[in-house]
Amino acid sequence: MSGVLIIFLLIPLMGIAALFFVQWDRVMFMLSLGAVLLDALCLLVGISGLPTCLPMQTAGGWLYIDHLSAWHLLVMLLVFMAGSLFAPVYFRDDLDSGRLSLTAARRYNQLWLGSLWTMTLTLLANNIGLMWVGMEATTLVTAFLVSIYPKPAAIEAMWKYLIICSVGIAFAFIGILLVAASLPATGEGSQQLFWTQLSIAGGYNLLLLKAAFIFSLVGFGTKAGLAPMHTWLPDAHSQAPGPVSAMFSGFMLNAALYCIMRHGAIVNHALGSDQFTSHLYIIFGLVSIVVSASFIISQHDIKRLLAYHSVEHLGIITLGLGLGPVGCFAALLHTLNHSLCKSLSFFAAGRLGQLYGSYTMGRIRGALHGAPLWGIALACSLLALIGVAPFSIFISEYLLVKAAIDRQAMVALVVFLLGSGVVFVAALEHLIPMAWGAGEDLPGKHCSLPAVAVVVGLLGLLLFFGLYLPAPIQVFLTRAAALTGGLP
Amino acid sequence: MLTLMSLLLFLLVLTNLTLLGSSRLAFCIRTVALQGVVLGLIPLVGLQPLSLQHGLLSLTAIVLKGGVFPWLLLRSLQVARVKREVEPFIGFNVSLSIGFFALISSVVFASKLPFGDNKDSLIIALALFTMITGLLLLISRRKALSMVLGYLVLENGIYGLGAVVADHIPMVVEFGVLLDVWVAVFGMGIAIYQINREFDHTDVDRLTELRG
Repeated sequence: MSGVLIIFLLIPLMGIAALFFVQWDRVMFMLSLGAVLLDALCLLVGISGLPTCLPMQTAGGWLYIDHLSAWHLLVMLLVFMAGSLFAPVYFRDDLDSGRLSLTAARRYNQLWLGSLWTMTLTLLANNIGLMWVGMEATTLVTAFLVSIYPKPAAIEAMWKYLIICSVGIAFAFIGILLVAASLPATGEGSQQLFWTQLSIAGGYNLLLLKAAFIFSLVGFGTKAGLAPMHTWLPDAHSQAPGPVSAMFSGFMLNAALYCIMRHGAIVNHALGSDQFTSHLYIIFGLVSIVVSASFIISQHDIKRLLAYHSVEHLGIITLGLGLGPVGCFAALLHTLNHSLCKSLSFFAAGRLGQLYGSYTMGRIRGALHGAPLWGIALACSLLALIGVAPFSIFISEYLLVKAAIDRQAMVALVVFLLGSGVVFVAALEHLIPMAWGAGEDLPGKHCSLPAVAVVVGLLGLLLFFGLYLPAPIQVFLTRAAALTGGLP
Repeated sequence: MLTLMSLLLFLLVLTNLTLLGSSRLAFCIRTVALQGVVLGLIPLVGLQPLSLQHGLLSLTAIVLKGGVFPWLLLRSLQVARVKREVEPFIGFNVSLSIGFFALISSVVFASKLPFGDNKDSLIIALALFTMITGLLLLISRRKALSMVLGYLVLENGIYGLGAVVADHIPMVVEFGVLLDVWVAVFGMGIAIYQINREFDHTDVDRLTELRG
């Protein structure tokens, strides 16, 4: 059964190889969709014996999966499935008109599967160094997805992304070196730097371990888009093509946060309490919420608006990590909700931007009327993003408030509620004219079967998890949250 | 043995200070290459029981940092048709002064770090100094290529730190890191080429289309 972990890594690679031989652009997109679906099928089949077969490891312990990584794997595959289904819809006009050449389409699909591969490696790596290698590789692979259309603005965004994230992730590597240095010199078995061993090892040099966590939080936090290290994020998200923005926001940020969670669990285990990490989580979470709220008020570009929403929601997840077991549960649930919702909103923003010929919010008017499918998608996903019931983000944010009250973290609660309130009002102010304002009808056909499937599927999931959280998922998430906290 | 080590450490300090004080980019690229070779040699000289794996890793690092990277960077220098770093945000003399200050602080700071007795605190100090030099280059220079050099110097410093404080990082990971740095330099080279094509310059402070 554990061989499935190797298959996870093999499928994208085989897809990349196969893409070299495909000569027809539609087939390329179908091929990447097929590879992602095959990956998802493996996840369902390979780990269907839940929860008995988790955790498991293979390849001499180098690959490892437990509830926390399986949860992230699930979220990742959902985002990639939606993105692969949406990509042919998004690129169709440009493929027809030749603006996206055959070579570019091949490069796009290979990089898309390449990002899937690097993120899978990040999630499955048991060794913290290998995880870092995977995370840095995501930057290098995805940077060229930003500039798949070589416009000046896209190249500028790609450059900033490449430099800022490479330097940030280099800091995270200092954190990993410090973890290695904080181990006792004679520690048998911990020499391989495996999570499985680090989370039970003892005799750490606590000072070095704490320093390591700070480096890791700042380093991976840069990649996760936590303020004040978020400066690359609005540029890259706004310049990338729609499916790529969705993948950035829907999963790449979470992958970086996943690395921080792993790190935090070790520190909590070694210190015997979560006080040290939770303070840092709360501070970074609140700063991200406040900073993003202030930028959301004054946005003009719809994709930049959504990018700042990502900063806000990653801040919310980070805040949740600092609020004990219930907070961790809420944070992990929020990861799924945010990823689904953000994928949908970036798809809608991408399509509407294409249809209206501009991403400036002042130019997008009356989308519900002009392009009903994407108008509904934008309106519903933005409403869900700001926490309107009955969408599932409401539930995870509600749980988060509960966790904050339980922990008596009143300052955090007040700042969180104030920030969310500001975002709520500001986003509504942007949304109402875009959705309901008076605008012209857009000529042409905007609906196709895959487009409807993506919108209905994502909206359905958002509603479903908002109304009902099945018991097996609750049990699963509780186990994953316990791993995040690192405390028994 | 000891004298060879001191020579290498002396060269490490010298390359950092040279980088902080010089404006000719081709010369800077070669200096960074020399620094990479020096750092690749330090584990070979310093680690007493030298294993085959460590030897192989050092060799790979030396070939990449001393040969492949400068070749890639000199090519993008040709493409971008720039010769000098003109008017950096922090002038060369000020940079050098900050560099001297950082060198002294690193030595003082490293002696206080709790890395155990057997670790060589001088190498740690110089690795820290190299990292600070890299960061200083990253924030103080205008040309895109200088930022790549800054990133490489930062990476060199981390490599040096890793060689001393974390000698049990598995080989697979070490090679993975080198591979990542290689792809990063390659990617940044392509990025410089694209920036030059679209903007007709490679001054990062003039990339101001995206704001807010």
